[in-house]
Amino acid sequence: MATDYSRTRKKPVFRMLAFGICSTALYALVFSYQGFITAYFTRGALYAALPIATAFAISFIHGNFTSYFWSVLGIEANRKALRPRPEVTRPDMRERPQPQPRLRAKL
Amino acid sequence: MQDVAQEVIKFIDLNYANALYLFIVGFIGGLVSGFIGSGGAFVLTPGMMSLGVPGLVAVASNMCHKFPKALVGAIRRAKYGQVDVKLGIIFGIFAEAGVFYGAHIQEMIKQRFGDAGSNLYVSTAFVVILATVGTFVLRDAIKTYRSGTTDKEEQVSKIARWVQSINIPGTMMYFKSLKARVSVLFIVPLGFATGMLAATIAVGGFIGVPSIIYVLGAPSLMGSATELVVAFVMGLGGSLKYALHGFVDFRLTAIILAGSLFGIQLGAMGTTYVKPYMIKFVMGVIMVTVLFSRAFMIPVYLSDLGMITTLSEMTVKVLKSTSFAIMVFALLIGAFIILRAMFQGRRAEQKLVLQASLEQSEV
Repeated sequence: MATDYSRTRKKPVFRMLAFGICSTALYALVFSYQGFITAYFTRGALYAALPIATAFAISFIHGNFTSYFWSVLGIEANRKALRPRPEVTRPDMRERPQPQPRLRAKL
Repeated sequence: MQDVAQEVIKFIDLNYANALYLFIVGFIGGLVSGFIGSGGAFVLTPGMMSLGVPGLVAVASNMCHKFPKALVGAIRRAKYGQVDVKLGIIFGIFAEAGVFYGAHIQEMIKQRFGDAGSNLYVSTAFVVILATVGTFVLRDAIKTYRSGTTDKEEQVSKIARWVQSINIPGTMMYFKSLKARVSVLFIVPLGFATGMLAATIAVGGFIGVPSIIYVLGAPSLMGSATELVVAFVMGLGGSLKYALHGFVDFRLTAIILAGSLFGIQLGAMGTTYVKPYMIKFVMGVIMVTVLFSRAFMIPVYLSDLGMITTLSEMTVKVLKSTSFAIMVFALLIGAFIILRAMFQGRRAEQKLVLQASLEQSEV
């Protein structure tokens, strides 16, 4: 299937803005309450789940925002590279050559 | 842990300048990681320490940003069909074991020989690994470029062909990136070494990526992408370990993540615009440059241990500044090569888009 370069994609502006607002809100929360957060996130033991969970939340929200950000700017992966490639089969490395039959004649 | 707890209390006051600095370094580190599968950490940790962050807090905060960054990068590169999740997870599990063992070795060396001894051990590891692996990877990339075979499918190395030919019953697994069944017993030492290196110099990928490519036989693009899964597993385990003791300064993690999540997406996209040998080239260039950076620090540690004539304060300051500057330069040069390759690739694609539009308007 040839890559269709004539088709232009619609830019995900709304999704970028939505995730951008959520990301900004999350960061604003973290830094507005940084004293409180530092105190609880460094308590150790079961509180260890707090920085881990918040890092996952940032990776989802901010990760999506940054992805849509680059798409809105028109910076995307090379479409040619995303085209499915035919599967190249490699020979089984463990195949050993069959022994050649030899004639042993007694004279 | 008692003396370390004293350090932990000293969480720095963040100002806008520090935050911007961490954001930019995070962005560049993410860009490089998205492209070659690792990197960035070796500048982030000393970068944070240069702001006054205690060493252990810097390592812990960096680790806590590593796994979400690697997750986002791996998801992105999985969309391009470059990630072997199974290999990454299995490799990552053994790498995690290596991290714990490596950290234990570090603690033992620090207790016996002090900070200077620990630093000398880290720098020696840097120099030995980067000199051998870095020059090998760079030479291979240059050889591929000069041979004019950059468009052809990458050749599997002799070691990888041998590894793929070995059949150990009960241990064999098929991996899509290798297009072959390989014994897990080969993955154990490679993963373990990657984890040990991560615990020692903060960048396990400098062994991880070359071993996946040259020893197991994965293509460069898949090797560097799969390393992101390994980094996720290692980062998550390491972060849990540090968070359990309360060493993570989440403010630093959050700022670095803010920048690195921009960078890693860009780096991942960059891999779709370049030929596979560029992954090896960028990795080799960064490794060889960082090698020079660490070489400048060795006289400082030898002087601290009394193994050579004591260096003057001025000389130590110059050597430390030069070392840090070269390390930053390593990351910048990697970022420059990646962005340049991306820019050229996008220009070529835009020409094709314009051509296709003109052809369609003629019809």
